Amino acid sequence: MLDTVREIETPEGISLHLRAAGALPRAQAWMVDLVLRMGVFTVAMIPLSLFGAGGNGLAMLLLFALMWAYWVVCEVWLDGQTLGKRALGLRVVNADGTPVTWLPSVVRNLLRVVDVLPGVYGVGLASTLIDPYGRRLGDIVAGTMVIHASDLPTGQQVPAAAAVPLPLVLAADEQAALVEFAERSGQLTLQRQEELANLLTPLTARSDTAAVRQLIGHANWLLGRP
Amino acid sequence: MKQQRFVALHGGEWDSLQSWLSALERQPKRTLRQEQALDFPQSYRRACHHLALARGRGYSHEVTDRLQRLVQQGHRVLYRAPAPRWHRVASFLVAGFPRLVRAQWRCMIAAAVLFYVPALITLVLMQLRPELAHTVFSSAQLADFEKMYDPANAHIGRNSGTDMQMFGFYVMNNVSIAFRTFASGLFFGVGAIYVLGANGVLIGGVAGHLTAIGYGGPFWRFVVGHSAFELSALVIAGGAGLQLGLTLLMPGRQRRGPALVAAGWVGAQLALGAFAMLLAAAFVEAYWSSIAALPDLLKFGSGALLWVLVLGWLWRGGRAGTHGA
Repeated sequence: MLDTVREIETPEGISLHLRAAGALPRAQAWMVDLVLRMGVFTVAMIPLSLFGAGGNGLAMLLLFALMWAYWVVCEVWLDGQTLGKRALGLRVVNADGTPVTWLPSVVRNLLRVVDVLPGVYGVGLASTLIDPYGRRLGDIVAGTMVIHASDLPTGQQVPAAAAVPLPLVLAADEQAALVEFAERSGQLTLQRQEELANLLTPLTARSDTAAVRQLIGHANWLLGRP
Repeated sequence: MKQQRFVALHGGEWDSLQSWLSALERQPKRTLRQEQALDFPQSYRRACHHLALARGRGYSHEVTDRLQRLVQQGHRVLYRAPAPRWHRVASFLVAGFPRLVRAQWRCMIAAAVLFYVPALITLVLMQLRPELAHTVFSSAQLADFEKMYDPANAHIGRNSGTDMQMFGFYVMNNVSIAFRTFASGLFFGVGAIYVLGANGVLIGGVAGHLTAIGYGGPFWRFVVGHSAFELSALVIAGGAGLQLGLTLLMPGRQRRGPALVAAGWVGAQLALGAFAMLLAAAFVEAYWSSIAALPDLLKFGSGALLWVLVLGWLWRGGRAGTHGA
């Protein structure tokens, strides 16, 4: 499938749909994190500069924390989201779809060193473009992936209409196609609705607007509405 | 069963599960104490069952999308990682980490050879031909080293700065080097080999040059205290990197992907242990090694004691008779 959705079967026997995030939103999240960390460091330097050389040491410790610990602490405590990822609606998950845990997070963030090379994320970019799920090398070794955490917009509902029983028994996929047509009718122009409905004239024995209305009635009947 | 009736039967249950999950996101602690938390695994599994039914019966997206979202949210809550326990950190440092180091003994010995052999060779060469110092270091660097370890200096090992400043500097500098050594091992081990060798030449070069010009006293007095932690941690980080690169080259009886993931977990634990060792080293280096006024016996005695303790910890820690985990 030419698709970035990864399906993972859970112990309950259903599949999770993880939508892999590509290089661009991740780069944006990284930029947000960078600006935030630089802001924190700059603000912290104001009181630290009052302590002279000792404050310098504290500034080094802060820099160390922002460089190395920030990622791991954020990802583990904020359910797989650094602040930048939260702003962009991304999330780091383990291979089984659960929020990232300590060790995988440490692995992927230590190996950031490799992905950053050469220049700004050269290896990482190449890796995200090659890997089917957009993982950088650190993600591959850690067994994690970055996904879109936000929900897709919900589908349209089938417009309510008086139910019309179907004159013959349809196969399951044919029923699904009918219901889906009714669900999407709100997003289609009237002309397109009629054009599609006219394909089913043998079933409805009507054409144009009457056929559309009939099909929506059938869909209502299939859903079990009165 | 028609879709409408299915939703009418179970919709209420989905709604209550959804509202509990949303409340959990807003106020985790309070929501987990509610009575409903006890029912959560059961109602989550029922929602999974309903999703499977809805898919099997070909219900419309209106129902399957709603259940899919509910189930994904629930999965994240039910299968989240347990809260970290502090005693595990202690048992890892006391037992798990030395055990892990011993389990990777081949890579550790290789890393030690890669580091100590160039260091010793450089050290000896500097005694035989002192002018070699100028091929390894620039004159500005040499002047810097000589100033740092001038026997007349009250604080050895630094030009200026307080203990706190140097502690921050050592943490930032040394831990970053160790982490990079580990990570660069992913390039088939080449990065780790280079960093180990280069650091061996540098450290051996400084030691050799200062000994050759007669500043050896302050230098050895300075480094003996923290060298046990610092050099061992560097070797362990290098060994962790080697282990990662070698797994990529020779995954053994596993496919490369799973083998790399396993090696990454081992490497990350080794890197975390090296991080703890380097914190200890930075503390000793900033607050103990820099005191110039102590007698030689105390300095070298404590240094030797630390070496014995570190090596003994790595050698015996976590053995069946002594382990605490």
